[in-house]
Amino acid sequence: MKKAVSIFSSLALMAGVLAGCGPDKDTTEPKTNEKNTTTTENGMPPKPEKLVVWEDVKRGVALEPAIKAFEQKYGIKVEYKEVEMATKQRDQLRLDGPAGTGPDVITVPHDQIGQLVTEGLIREITVDQSVLDTFTESSLKAETYNGKLYGLPKAVETPVFIYNKKLMDKAPATMDELYQFSKEFTKGDKYGFLALWDNFYFAHGIIAGMGGYVFKDNNGTLDPKDIGLNNDGAVQGTEYIQKWYKELFPKGIIGENGGSTMDGLFNEGKVASVMNGPWAFQGMRDAGIDIGVAPMPTLPNGEHVKTFMGVKGWHVSAFSKNPEWATKLIEFLTNEENAKKRFELTREIPPVKSLINDPLIANDEGAKAVAVQSQYAVPMPNIPEMAEVWGPMATALQLVANQKTEPKKALDEAVKTIKTNIETNHPSK
Amino acid sequence: METSMYRSSHRKIALCLSIVPGLGQLYNRQYVKGAFFLILAISYYIVFADLLDIGLWGIVTLGEVIGRDHSIFLLVEGILAVIILVFGLGVYAFNLYDAYKNGQQRDLGLNISSLREQYHVLIDSGFPYLMISPGFILLVFVVVFPIIFVVLLAFTNYDLYHSPPAKLVDWVGFQNFIDLVKLDLWRKTFVNVLAWTIVWTFGATTLQIALGIFLAIIVNQKDLKGKAIIRTIFILPWAVPAFVSILIFSGMFNESFGVINKTILASLGIDPIDWMTDPFWTKVALILIQSWLGFPFIFAMTTGVLQAIPDELYEAAIVDGATAWQKFTKITLPLVLYAVAPILITQYTFNFNNFNIIYLFNGGGPAVSGQNAGATDILISWIYRLTMTSAQYSKAAAITLLLSLVVVSVALWQFRKTKSFKEEDMM
Repeated sequence: MKKAVSIFSSLALMAGVLAGCGPDKDTTEPKTNEKNTTTTENGMPPKPEKLVVWEDVKRGVALEPAIKAFEQKYGIKVEYKEVEMATKQRDQLRLDGPAGTGPDVITVPHDQIGQLVTEGLIREITVDQSVLDTFTESSLKAETYNGKLYGLPKAVETPVFIYNKKLMDKAPATMDELYQFSKEFTKGDKYGFLALWDNFYFAHGIIAGMGGYVFKDNNGTLDPKDIGLNNDGAVQGTEYIQKWYKELFPKGIIGENGGSTMDGLFNEGKVASVMNGPWAFQGMRDAGIDIGVAPMPTLPNGEHVKTFMGVKGWHVSAFSKNPEWATKLIEFLTNEENAKKRFELTREIPPVKSLINDPLIANDEGAKAVAVQSQYAVPMPNIPEMAEVWGPMATALQLVANQKTEPKKALDEAVKTIKTNIETNHPSK
Repeated sequence: METSMYRSSHRKIALCLSIVPGLGQLYNRQYVKGAFFLILAISYYIVFADLLDIGLWGIVTLGEVIGRDHSIFLLVEGILAVIILVFGLGVYAFNLYDAYKNGQQRDLGLNISSLREQYHVLIDSGFPYLMISPGFILLVFVVVFPIIFVVLLAFTNYDLYHSPPAKLVDWVGFQNFIDLVKLDLWRKTFVNVLAWTIVWTFGATTLQIALGIFLAIIVNQKDLKGKAIIRTIFILPWAVPAFVSILIFSGMFNESFGVINKTILASLGIDPIDWMTDPFWTKVALILIQSWLGFPFIFAMTTGVLQAIPDELYEAAIVDGATAWQKFTKITLPLVLYAVAPILITQYTFNFNNFNIIYLFNGGGPAVSGQNAGATDILISWIYRLTMTSAQYSKAAAITLLLSLVVVSVALWQFRKTKSFKEEDMM
């Protein structure tokens, strides 16, 4: 009897404790921006003591002069920390942001924007039209998600045509010329031209140039339901890719480790030309190859190769307490003067209109080729659904490259898988 | 009948008073102990009240207001709160038990042990527990805590579209497991990946064990010269970090440029084999590489056991007229397996989750159509894909749960079957 009473009483006690759980409702109401009520002249809130920026590793050199100038102009201290851009900034912001120790400004590749916005990690920014007008249209498109601007572009990159000047006099103008050259040149372990077209990042240039597309672009909003990767153009593009693999490319460059194999061959001087991004320049020069760089040759149908463009941008963290000043800072970091300095120090190509024809860039063969090629390039889709495209497309392209499946069949299968994956992983919002 | 044994009802009064920890002990005139319990209870309340408050509310609701509540942080706090609560309740239960026991002693007219006696009892009988407890508490937070986190995650809808701080995470019960069975793509992939995982585990592990034991026995022959050098060479694959070896192998197996197709097979007059692009040959290559990487460990261990087998056994066998084969199957093999069996089991579970080799050799490829994993993806590398590319955290947790069920049950079954864990002496 006593036991029952004691058990009951302890249960009642626990229930009482549990019912009283939870944060106090009135004290933890999200504070409405009290700070913003006291604005200074030109509508800006009071200056914060400091702003924190996360910059990509080894890029701090380009940031230092810019933040020094910003400190002088506005009297706000700016601190920066180098955090690896591809994954670390995103992963760390997930933890540091809610904890209140995160940065005000981060930099990420633009194809992560959709994911970051969905997770609520970066915030929309508003800048004057005069600022927007300084950037190329395609780079701004890359920074826009669901019709809203989420950052300002600091650098663009896209694959270009790189050739070994010892083995090739000048870059061919058309893919047909390249094909003829390659036919004659490719013998034994010498190759006229190599490209990683089993990787959708590189293959997209051919597929899109022939008329395929990933997601239909409806005036700045991508439609994840309309996939154009098995339309006639995409099939023709893939057939063209298959032709190269069948006649000229070795099997050893197919698959996960194909990239390092191709780089190795090129650096040994066995390959006359490759399709690769600006990040490869330095390694090739270090290997003692005298490289020439040009935009991709035009396709047999007369179109340009529509390579994928990657844009690195500055973004304002959703956890920043001073979004207005953070926006001001990224405007400052991407202005013409600082963009030019960035190019000088890091060789990253800024998508600033006035700089593309600047002698500084126009006289640099590599930078010019990237700048020209990026005019034909398509920004990589930045919606989260894109994550489902890479895998199935790599599957399809590998099967085609290995001559295991017909292009049409492989692409139909891939699109089916992509659609299923999008339905399962990305239920319509 | 029963009550007549007791002269009073101190035990009941002490038990009731101990609802407030320490009061029962004070009633039993154990003042130091009582004060200790009382202070412990008060400090527990002061220190943990907030954590318990937010944590218990958090683990039940996973947050209510977007922006203010971060579901995943709340889940973590909730688990912490539950662990703290369990510890607290344990001490509380002991407090009740202690008050009752001592009250009972008084009821029976016995003397209650003095503080010094209690101290001696604690030191004598509780010493091992006292020594284990810091390690045990650490273990709870380092090992048990993450496991609980994954288990709970499997019952939420945590994915890209339910990610804090933009959204809240909710409890969804068994939905993730139902999806794994019900949705075509998931089911097909799951079955294929599971099948290959099992083939891989048994194929690669059995081969590496057989090779290791075989070589150890060969090298252990009495009349063999240069044992030290041979042993050193056989240990070498173990000395090189596995990921380095795997990356080198991956280059060697390259179809057009790798030394295996280009030099070794070519010199034998064999046509190049599709090591990287044909699922079957990739699997063969993986199993071969793992045998190469894994045998030195078994080899070293078996060598040690072989040297411990007394010669008398073999001499007696020779006297009895045993053949070499009989000596091997009746003496060597049983003794070796007896000694190393538990470690062999860990080799199986290790390969079941051998992420490195799968990921580094060919990234789980080659690709196959109609599933969202590569042909050589095992469960663990598939889980990696799911988390990294699709942000399907809850699904990945659900698969992790299934995977651990397999590992745990196989391990338990084998551990129990092995005599090594039952008997203490070898012979």
